[in-house]
Amino acid sequence: MTLVNKGTPPLPGTPSESPVRQAGLSAYLGGVFAVVGMELRQRLRSRGWYIMLGIWFGLIWLVAALTWISWKAQTNRTDFDYVDPAMLAHGPGSLIFEVVLAFVLLFGLLVGPAFSANAISGDRAGGTLAIMQVTLLRPGQILWGKFLASWVAALAFLVVSVPFLIFGIAQGGLGVGYILIALLMLAIELGVVCALGVGISALANRPLFSIVVTYLAVAALTFGTLIAFGLGSMLSNGTVMANQSYYKDISHQSPEGEGMSGTYQEGYPDRPNPKDITDENDEYACYGPLVENRVIRTERVAWMLSMNPFVVVADAIPYPDPSDRGNQFYSVALFETVSQGARYAQAGPDATYQCANGKVTASYLAPQTPLWPLGLGLQLLVSAGILALAWRALRTPAGKLPKGTRVA
Amino acid sequence: MMEHKPPSQDPPEQDPPEQDVPEQDVPEPVASEPAAVAAVQPAPAATPEVGAPDTGTPFTGLEAVGLSRSFGDVHAVVNMDLRAPAGQVTALIGPNGAGKTTLLLMLASLLAPDAGTISIMGVDPVKDPAAARAKIGWMPDTLGVWESLTAREILTSMGRFYRLPKAQIPGRVEELLALVNLLPLAEQKARVLSRGQQQRLSLARALIHDPQVLLLDEPASGLDPGSRVALRSILRRLAGEGKAIVVSSHVLAELDEIADGAVFVNQGRTVLAQTVAEADGQGRKYAIAALDPVVLNAALVGLGVEFEAGGGRRDSVTVTLGTQQHAARLLRDLVEAGAGVCAFAPASGALEESYMNMLVEQP
Repeated sequence: MTLVNKGTPPLPGTPSESPVRQAGLSAYLGGVFAVVGMELRQRLRSRGWYIMLGIWFGLIWLVAALTWISWKAQTNRTDFDYVDPAMLAHGPGSLIFEVVLAFVLLFGLLVGPAFSANAISGDRAGGTLAIMQVTLLRPGQILWGKFLASWVAALAFLVVSVPFLIFGIAQGGLGVGYILIALLMLAIELGVVCALGVGISALANRPLFSIVVTYLAVAALTFGTLIAFGLGSMLSNGTVMANQSYYKDISHQSPEGEGMSGTYQEGYPDRPNPKDITDENDEYACYGPLVENRVIRTERVAWMLSMNPFVVVADAIPYPDPSDRGNQFYSVALFETVSQGARYAQAGPDATYQCANGKVTASYLAPQTPLWPLGLGLQLLVSAGILALAWRALRTPAGKLPKGTRVA
Repeated sequence: MMEHKPPSQDPPEQDPPEQDVPEQDVPEPVASEPAAVAAVQPAPAATPEVGAPDTGTPFTGLEAVGLSRSFGDVHAVVNMDLRAPAGQVTALIGPNGAGKTTLLLMLASLLAPDAGTISIMGVDPVKDPAAARAKIGWMPDTLGVWESLTAREILTSMGRFYRLPKAQIPGRVEELLALVNLLPLAEQKARVLSRGQQQRLSLARALIHDPQVLLLDEPASGLDPGSRVALRSILRRLAGEGKAIVVSSHVLAELDEIADGAVFVNQGRTVLAQTVAEADGQGRKYAIAALDPVVLNAALVGLGVEFEAGGGRRDSVTVTLGTQQHAARLLRDLVEAGAGVCAFAPASGALEESYMNMLVEQP
């Protein structure tokens, strides 16, 4: 073993000026970027990150390829006249785009905690957190630095998936605006997950605990919101005044309509007296006296649903107005369905129950106030709250310590 | 180090010669002679370099008064006092769990005391942590390295965390790497450094911003002998530059060499604060060995000196002497009596003596 030279180690030359405390934002940001730089350097050196990136790329490639192949298989079928020609003209683009988007979001929610949830608890376990706290770094700088670094690491995964989204766009159907807004929303959702993870990691003692809790938090956002919405709906019974609806097409159709059974036709009411009609559109008319109907007042619990990351992303994407699409059968539109479903829930029975208050309801809720600002706002509120608690936990000199923790 | 046991107060029941085979022991003392010789000459630290810097002016350095801190029901620190004057090395000594690390955490501005005040060169770390931290260099007892970063990167990052001017950081890092002799390993990931090397890196990290107060928690643990010598000279030089240095360590013989003063703590309390000079002045045990133990015993009896069979591995006797003057006189008398003395050395370091006394005092 080489020993330290016993002679005379050089004098520790004193820096001409001892650390000057510069005030201001630039000094603050300087500290943040120093933390970000240190964190990213460590992450870039971990082999696990590259392995995950590779697996991610392979998986998305597989998903995109399978989607494309299955679409081809569907459209090439000649044994029955199943596929709408309009859809053929449309191409598989939107389908691939939506599948990849859903997949990227799902996987982003899964890898986000892995990057963020041991950011601070891991340092605490390794004894390096106290070393940072004893420097001139402020708790906010440590927190921002760790958060930004984990976000950047997670965004790399988004970047890897961009080619597939572009491939989806290139296959036709969707505009460039789509991809930009979708990417932006995915990036924000990853940021929310990373903020949750970093915040929880500052509050937890052990890395394993903070990772598990972060995954539970993400699960609460993804599944918990659905469950809470479902359970909450059951408790939100209410009534709405509505009268009867009358479908014009059906009544005009002669009894040979194949899909209709005779009994159904028999049970169908006669054409209402025009005087009773309160409102009508091309499709149907509302008529008769208003009666009380028991309904589920979903608008009271829609805010829970709005926090779901899938809802936020789906709702933020601007879908072309159905009237602009003409009569074209607009492909599967997975995300649009999610968005519409959420907006129905938000609008509640007053807007969606047929003939509520004697009014015809819109079949498409595009003009409704979008749900995603509420959902994203709630997500940001929760993340900010957890980060604020984390900031408190990182302050030194530490007052109260959680049981069983050591500062160093 | 710690094999020294406080000798029992009972008189020796057996004469040493009957206990052992003398023939084998005769050549033995030769092997330990260098140590004995080294110890006979007064240790350089025995004359503390409480140099010129602070006289007359009010106290500068690190001062903590009446510190208390408890974690739940555990009273880790109860009313501790500590004074570490600038320009001196102050040893913090106490058994495991005595509250040393908790005290150092409070001094390092990481932990808020429940009661008591701290002054770091006049700055209260509780009220103005940032100003205090610019003056504090802290080396924790846990290693805490960023494993995938190189030594140079770690020091550079620390420089940025301390807001050193960017242009100065590379030069400063280079200096410190040279100081702790890590230049050849500067580009190695911290993961591959040995424990002692990481310890040296940790010291460099604590020095990056040229702090006025150094708090070192077990800095010597894991260091090889050469590195210990280097650490000793680094600390002495830093003290010479007027820094206040607090070292906690279990290696008491080492502290004898570098410390100017010592604070003994036990069970969260300050038990004793003394300078090394005071420790040297207190009564102390000496181990004496001779070519023929029988002759030595006879000579001691002739001189009227009480002695006990030594606790060490060699066939020696232990005497308790009040001062170094007494020791010198006894050695001269023994030589004149023709006792054939081949080893004459303090049985324990001055601080070790205090430490053992302190433990005896404990209920």
